[in-house]
Amino acid sequence: MKRVNTIAVFAAAVLLASGCSEGSGDDDGSGFEFWSFTGINQKIDVDAYTKAHPDAKIKLTEVGSTTETAQALTAALAGGKVPDLVLIQGDDLPKFMQAPENFVDLTTLGADKIKGDYLDWVMSQSTTGDKIVGIPTDVGGMAIAYRTDLFKAAGLPTDREQVSKLWPTWDAFTEVGKQYVQATGKPFLDNTPTSIFYQAVNQGTERYYDADHKLSYDKNPQVKAAFDLTLKVFASGISAKQGSFSTGWTAGMSKGDFAVVSAPAWMLNAIRTNAPGTTGKWDIATIPGGSGNWGGSYLAIPKRAKNPKAAWKYIAEMQSPAGQLANFLAKGNLPTTPSVYTDPQLVGREEPFFSNAPIGKIYTQSVVNVKPFYIGPDDATVGSELLNTLTSVEQGKVDPANAWDTALTNVKNALRG
Amino acid sequence: MNPASPTTGRAPRRRRSANRVPITVYVALGAMVFFSVFPLYWMFVVATTDSATATSLPPHVLPGGNFLHLANLVFETVPFVQALVNSVIISTTIGVGQAVLCALAGFAFAKLQFPGRNTLFLIVVLTMTVPAQLAIIPQYLIMSQLDWVDTLQAVIVPGLVTAFGIFWMRQHMVGTLNDELMHAARVDGATTWQIFWRIAFPLVRPAAFVLGLFGFVNAWNDFLWPFIVLKSPEQYTAQIAIKALQNNRDIDLGLAMSGSFLATLPLLVLFVFVGRRLVQGIMEGAFKG
Amino acid sequence: MTTTLSPATSAGTTRGPSRYRHVQQGVRERLAPYGYVAPFFVLFLIFGLFPLLFTFYVALFDWDLIGERHFVGLDNFSELVHDPRFWGALRNTFSIWVLSTVPQLLIALGLAHVLNHVRLRAATLFRMSVLVPYVTSVAATTIVFAQLFDRDYGMLNWFLELLGFPHVDFTASVWGSHVMIALMIAWRWTGYNTLLYLASLQTVSRDLFEAAAMDGANSWQQFRHITIPSLRPIIVFTVVTSTIFGLQTFTEPLLVNPVGGLTCGAARQCQTLTLFLYEQAFGRFHFGYGAAVAVALFVMVVIVAAINYLLVTRIRSERP
Repeated sequence: MKRVNTIAVFAAAVLLASGCSEGSGDDDGSGFEFWSFTGINQKIDVDAYTKAHPDAKIKLTEVGSTTETAQALTAALAGGKVPDLVLIQGDDLPKFMQAPENFVDLTTLGADKIKGDYLDWVMSQSTTGDKIVGIPTDVGGMAIAYRTDLFKAAGLPTDREQVSKLWPTWDAFTEVGKQYVQATGKPFLDNTPTSIFYQAVNQGTERYYDADHKLSYDKNPQVKAAFDLTLKVFASGISAKQGSFSTGWTAGMSKGDFAVVSAPAWMLNAIRTNAPGTTGKWDIATIPGGSGNWGGSYLAIPKRAKNPKAAWKYIAEMQSPAGQLANFLAKGNLPTTPSVYTDPQLVGREEPFFSNAPIGKIYTQSVVNVKPFYIGPDDATVGSELLNTLTSVEQGKVDPANAWDTALTNVKNALRG
Repeated sequence: MNPASPTTGRAPRRRRSANRVPITVYVALGAMVFFSVFPLYWMFVVATTDSATATSLPPHVLPGGNFLHLANLVFETVPFVQALVNSVIISTTIGVGQAVLCALAGFAFAKLQFPGRNTLFLIVVLTMTVPAQLAIIPQYLIMSQLDWVDTLQAVIVPGLVTAFGIFWMRQHMVGTLNDELMHAARVDGATTWQIFWRIAFPLVRPAAFVLGLFGFVNAWNDFLWPFIVLKSPEQYTAQIAIKALQNNRDIDLGLAMSGSFLATLPLLVLFVFVGRRLVQGIMEGAFKG
Repeated sequence: MTTTLSPATSAGTTRGPSRYRHVQQGVRERLAPYGYVAPFFVLFLIFGLFPLLFTFYVALFDWDLIGERHFVGLDNFSELVHDPRFWGALRNTFSIWVLSTVPQLLIALGLAHVLNHVRLRAATLFRMSVLVPYVTSVAATTIVFAQLFDRDYGMLNWFLELLGFPHVDFTASVWGSHVMIALMIAWRWTGYNTLLYLASLQTVSRDLFEAAAMDGANSWQQFRHITIPSLRPIIVFTVVTSTIFGLQTFTEPLLVNPVGGLTCGAARQCQTLTLFLYEQAFGRFHFGYGAAVAVALFVMVVIVAAINYLLVTRIRSERP
């Protein structure tokens, strides 16, 4: 009998708990539900917005990693409850662009009037035909983060201007690396697949698709060149062979076991959290080759959203040039609106963790000259297979001489199904 | 009887020495305790210092004084109290549900004759083989239809009774409940329900308790499905709250570990209170049985 | 427990049950078993069978979940047969399964036998501590293990170095990663299985062990002739279930490589079948293809489980 009572109590508790959760009825016109991923800190924007509009009730959910957020969105689009607003990472966007009918065409809400505010090539990725699916929130301009203390110990210059001049090209960068290894006996660079290949391949005029939106990764000489460059840098012996974001990578970064990390704008946060003890020991130089972009995100409104207007109002306000500038000043996400690139606040923004480097100035330089290329639905697959093969080379599991053939086989296998 | 025992007069002393636990067993058990506890202990060490500890060489093995700070940070960053409450509700309901419902079904499969029994039991076993990872999408679609997405019952209801539990309880019913006793009870006019509730269930209570406890722990540590179906912070379970502590690319190990440790703590407490009774209960049952 | 119940039931013997009530009850009684198994089957129909049929159906389509679905018949399966990633995942699954399940069950048996020993001191402490791995969060322990096994900064390699051995890059190699994952699984589930065995050993009369000891049987003989035979139904149970769950190993390979994502390493060296299907369905949105992997896995597990089921029925018929 006692047992039955316990069950009854818990059953009641469950009903109570679920009853409570259902009481979140809204639809008062200004409230909406917003899915973001972690690590990008949309909360700052949401807080700023609710401060300016106290009647706006925004329910922000940080779903998980970028991929997990995309997965949750997929499940929701397939037949679940969709949010009113969702943040999609650039790498995941092409998949959703394949089925634009799942999203509100933002031109119907006024996107065509503001599309000129954003970098063309960024906007083009979320535009299909005359439909606009997403508004870009940030880009991932490129640069190199380096340890001034370790550079000094190796007899290299430490000033960011001088360091930038050391490596106008990736070949020159490799030579600097060799000098460093010779002077210190320690590796120079965290790894080659991410720090070389993913940067170099993003600096071309075309990537894995050609201008006709056909897969061309196996024919595009720029891809092959970036791949061969990576193998060459690896052969020069400057890599610490620590896969990005792995345990060893984090540890090596804190301990100063390598001196250089290729750092797209969003990487700065990763360095800060993973190696909190190294504050003030880093600085930022320009990337060999000058320009490039890796990353960035978009805000989109699912078709079945209940409060599309409120969501759009939020986009229009927070992703305006002024809104993006405010976010950059607070959190460091690089704006997609070139009109603020010369703003004194952006140019003057210094980053204490990175020896007061003017990150706004350095990173915006790398994105204004980016040449737009088409990013297709299989881009992520091709990219990760090429990267994985190069990682296998670093781990000694694939002979560099066969690496390109192995990579092509792996990509072909991955594209099936 | 035993030709090997020469002096029957010294039997009691001999018996004790023959069945004494050798010291090597204690050494082996000690090693086992060390390996079992070490990862959790080490988690605690990282949780009381910072992420650098995790990879310092030679290894850093003593806890530091940073735990309260990190624990505070955990409670500030995510709605951890609410998450713990949700986890308790989910896990307890699932644990109790499994213990009773699986025992009931196990009883039917083990001790009752009914057409289709063997076929139905085969189906039960077969359902275990369905890979859970792919069931996620169809299950999610069903939850959407029921309008259960983002509610605790979306996690509770599918877990209330499992094939594994039925299989487990059936094995125990077969071995424990003898047919004469059941027959006698029937002659006395007991209904099937009475036989189950008054005779069968008390007999297999230790096994049902173990099942319920395991159901509790599994539900507590379950991640993938709650993560997919629960979205709002106020519906988080402890595991999702821990996950929310970590960004995809910047993992603050100290914070992640203190969150994990805090989420494991209730289970450890549960085991100290309930588990002790459990393992002792098992042993005591042996004497009575 | 039995003794407390017996008086209550025998007290009823004096009262003869009325015939009429008996008949009326008869109908209810005959339906009762279905009522007892109903909760499972109702839930199973909704949350088990529908997903299963859905999976079989989707396997015949090329579908990315949000776009259009194209019927492709058995194309997904013929692709699968020619996909080296599938065969690699199959190899990894079986290798990790064997490496983790065999030692885990053997150790659990031995531990249960020792922990059941009547003269074991501090038995409660030992019994409790085998369960610590089981209650510890999977995600957290996976991170801990990944660090202990790290190539340059892991404690294990640090010890190897002290002993004069070169560092081992566990995550990069096939065997290294399999051993590492198998160890994580065995670490977690050994105590769990030990407790399952312990819970069942309680039905074995303690006197049996005492009598055997008195007859001069040593611990090994007691283990072979008392513990093992009396645990047989539960041993079969654990073999069946750990086969089924072992072939669906997912969390450890998913988390062991924190960012490598869904391939468990650059060369897919430890990607299991469930992880492969997850990668296809959720990483690449090839939902039809992922469903085909699931069907293949399902068929495979059914075959292995069927073999085990035959074992179950055979052993049951051996027992009186």
